[in-house]
Amino acid sequence: MTAAPDALCRHCLLPLGRRGFARTVNGESCQFCCYGCCIAHQVKSGSGDASEAAWFLVRLGVGSFLSMNIMLFSLLVYSGAFTGADRGVLPTIQLLLWGLATPAVLILGEPFLRETWSQARRGRLSSSALIVLGSLAAYIYSTLAVFRLGGHLYFDTAAMVLMLFTLGRYLEAAGRARASRDLAPLLAAESESATVVEGAEEHRRPVREVRAGMLIRVKPGERIPVDGLIVEGCSHTDDSVISGESRQIAKAVGGSVLAGSINLDGPLLIRSSGAGNASRWAQICRSVREALRQSSRTQRIADRLVGAFVPVVLALAGITLAYWAQHLPFDRAMLVALSVLVVACPCAVGLAAPMAHSLGIGQLARHGCLVRSPRALEALALTRLIAFDKTGTLTLGWPHLVDLEIDGVGGDEVLARLAGLERHSEHGLARAIASAARARGVDPIATEDVRVVPGRGLRGVVHGELVAAGSAALMNELGWQLPSTLVERADLMATSGHSVVFVGWSEGVCAGRVRAALSFDDTPLPEARITIEALRAQGLRVMLLTGDHAGAAARVAATVGVDEWQAGLLPEAKRLALDQYRPHHGAVGMVGDGLNDAPGLAWADVGIAVGSATDLARETADLVLPPGGLWLLPWVVCRARAVRSTIFANLAWAFGYNSVALTCAMLGLLQPILAAAVMAGSSLLVVLNSLRLERLPGPSYPSALPLSAAARPASEGQPAQQAQLEGAAVQRGERRL
Amino acid sequence: MTYYALLFIAGFAGSFHCIGMCGGFACALGADPRGPSATAVRHALYNTGRLTTYCFLGGLAGGLGWAIYSCLGTRSQLGVVVLSESLNAAQRGLAVIAGLLMILMALQFFGLRGVRRVRTGFGGSTLVIALRSLLSRRGHAAPLAFGVLNGFLPCPLVYAMVAQAASTVDVLSGCLTMAAFGLGTFPTMLTMGGLGRLLAPRWRQRGVRLAGSFILALGLVTLGRGLVPMTAGHGLHHIWHFA
Repeated sequence: MTAAPDALCRHCLLPLGRRGFARTVNGESCQFCCYGCCIAHQVKSGSGDASEAAWFLVRLGVGSFLSMNIMLFSLLVYSGAFTGADRGVLPTIQLLLWGLATPAVLILGEPFLRETWSQARRGRLSSSALIVLGSLAAYIYSTLAVFRLGGHLYFDTAAMVLMLFTLGRYLEAAGRARASRDLAPLLAAESESATVVEGAEEHRRPVREVRAGMLIRVKPGERIPVDGLIVEGCSHTDDSVISGESRQIAKAVGGSVLAGSINLDGPLLIRSSGAGNASRWAQICRSVREALRQSSRTQRIADRLVGAFVPVVLALAGITLAYWAQHLPFDRAMLVALSVLVVACPCAVGLAAPMAHSLGIGQLARHGCLVRSPRALEALALTRLIAFDKTGTLTLGWPHLVDLEIDGVGGDEVLARLAGLERHSEHGLARAIASAARARGVDPIATEDVRVVPGRGLRGVVHGELVAAGSAALMNELGWQLPSTLVERADLMATSGHSVVFVGWSEGVCAGRVRAALSFDDTPLPEARITIEALRAQGLRVMLLTGDHAGAAARVAATVGVDEWQAGLLPEAKRLALDQYRPHHGAVGMVGDGLNDAPGLAWADVGIAVGSATDLARETADLVLPPGGLWLLPWVVCRARAVRSTIFANLAWAFGYNSVALTCAMLGLLQPILAAAVMAGSSLLVVLNSLRLERLPGPSYPSALPLSAAARPASEGQPAQQAQLEGAAVQRGERRL
Repeated sequence: MTYYALLFIAGFAGSFHCIGMCGGFACALGADPRGPSATAVRHALYNTGRLTTYCFLGGLAGGLGWAIYSCLGTRSQLGVVVLSESLNAAQRGLAVIAGLLMILMALQFFGLRGVRRVRTGFGGSTLVIALRSLLSRRGHAAPLAFGVLNGFLPCPLVYAMVAQAASTVDVLSGCLTMAAFGLGTFPTMLTMGGLGRLLAPRWRQRGVRLAGSFILALGLVTLGRGLVPMTAGHGLHHIWHFA
């Protein structure tokens, strides 16, 4: 192999595949997925008169000149210009045609020949073999006809087939490059450089060498290379890659900027707040590159078919030749067989999926949505049920402290211990605790050895004493006593739909005790309702799976408009719930964030993590939405479905077209030149059909938010009805439990 | 013959339009350091390349026209009486389409913006940029290749003429149509190559208008050829059927 199997084509950024090869362009070694991309890349990157691009164009131009002349002279011959009195000129014209055709076939056919040869050495038959065989047969037969046999000449066929395929591949590659336009900046990020200010000097350095604390200068129009704080200057930035939302945000000294956003109108000096390759932007780029390298099931099937195609076509051509040779003169039969060879080039089948995938992944990435692999995109298109986690997904995720019930200790002490413990957590409640502690002026107590107990809470050690915070189940597991006053109070809190956290610690040698119960109120996201309505309008079944209490689940479910929910689920129970629905819905999706959901996300066919998902969740999720990007989900689903239907349209087109054209060719209804044009057109149409994906609308932030604001007073105005709704939801939920 | 003469003149008039882009290329192709004769060869090769492409496109269009024409023709033969009448109908239909296209292109020369979209080429813009790399290359192959590829660049004038070629409903006539037009552009293009920028922008503007009027007139004639029934007058028929 000359190419690593997982590398991307330099030109169109699609995976290299079996046709991949390496070529040196402008002194730089590049990998290309096909000859067309090689051409188009050379044409695009060509500069200076000694460049290879210029050399390629010269060859293309001269080759076209020769073949067009062959075509014109052949037309004259066919139209009978050299009959009668002019008959004597005919041998000269034939010699002239031979003289034109020989360099034309050499110039235009060389790349195809080279590809065939390099594949043949690896023991494979590529589709170029068909082209080479077809045009060489026509050329050799005609050469024999000129010097020996007499009869018709098919130099025009040989030259035009080569020219049309060259042109077709160039156009195809040009189209594919358009598909990669969205992706290029994403992939370039890793190799991008930043202007680092050191004293009075400025250096360009690769982003990955940037460390926290360095000063970076960003000119207007440039992409901000690292996360950081503005030290000097003011400007507007466009954060669409990070937030999914395209709008200008004003930034001034002291403001923070995110890597990947575009600095629109003023020079900025930034103090980097982290390493260059640790930003979310760098992570986006890495994941996009990774996603592009993967292939989907459809793609693998298509590739296998393409591989089997070439020998089949060779056999068909042989059969065709044998059959027609009995009914027609040999040269006519050969022409029919040539049509079969030329028309059956399976390029379109191989192109059907990867281009649609990379367009889809690129567009999602441009709005901050990351897809793990094309497979995830296909699964999302098939998903008929989406389960949501509650906290941080449908709710704001930073609930605030509503009530603090204590049992024999001071409120400040509880908060100080709790804040110290939760400082190590990214869970939604941690922030609420931190801000409550700040509001009371309490300093967190330093806590060591903090461990997450998935689905239950946290535990840590303060001065050798165990501290734990979480559900009643955690307290029971630790064997700590739960005072009945606290339990009663907590039940009351829970039924009013609040999240409850118990806090306890051990003192010296005494067994631990639960000392306090805190209740938190979690507000549903303003866009949750619209998002869920949109998903339902797309024919998806939506449900809520939460580890929280039934009361809280019912309240949130009613507010956001979900009428199926299950509460009190541990991560394993979420997995079971997903399994329970999978048989009826083909594929199931799970939306969540935070540690609690990681097993659920991984278990779902499509795990979707929203926003400030922790690193662990990101590892398990197939799709990551930007922070606060829940509203993007319906758009992403729509996009995934569009990609899938485009691929199927492409495949149907490529197969249908190929089989019809092949039948026509075998019946002798298709001229070889026409067949070449038809084939070049086929892959071009697949490219154009895939490019239609580009024209689908981008996501628009729900302008319906005023609508949700309008809806809210209405529901508040009818509290009785809402209570009824909640009651109904609770009943349903409990039945399920 | 008159028909081809007319096309030659159309090419000549139209070449004022060429000064815009292709003229720039011709200038940039510049002089050969090996002397005036080498320069002449250089420009002759460039223009030969261009002419070949035009002829090829013309032949292709003529062939396409012929295919449509014969397709409709054979179908009508299934009927009984139609024969020559319907053959003419197919040809007339092509003439109407070609005429309308040409009028559309001509209106573009007069600054009708809406038609601009016609010229969005597929990969065309990258091709133009890449072609520049050929301009300064020495040797005979480069100007020839440059001319050939230049001929494929999107140009409303060429489109109009290709439409005209399609309406001839014959490969050879289509080829000759484009050949006559291409030869018509020779004088200006060769002069541009030799003398560099010759005309003031004001004159260029007038030239483009002139080209536009010519294409418009030709389009109207083609359209008329399609619309006015042959039986309306044999004299008229002769006027537009130069060929």
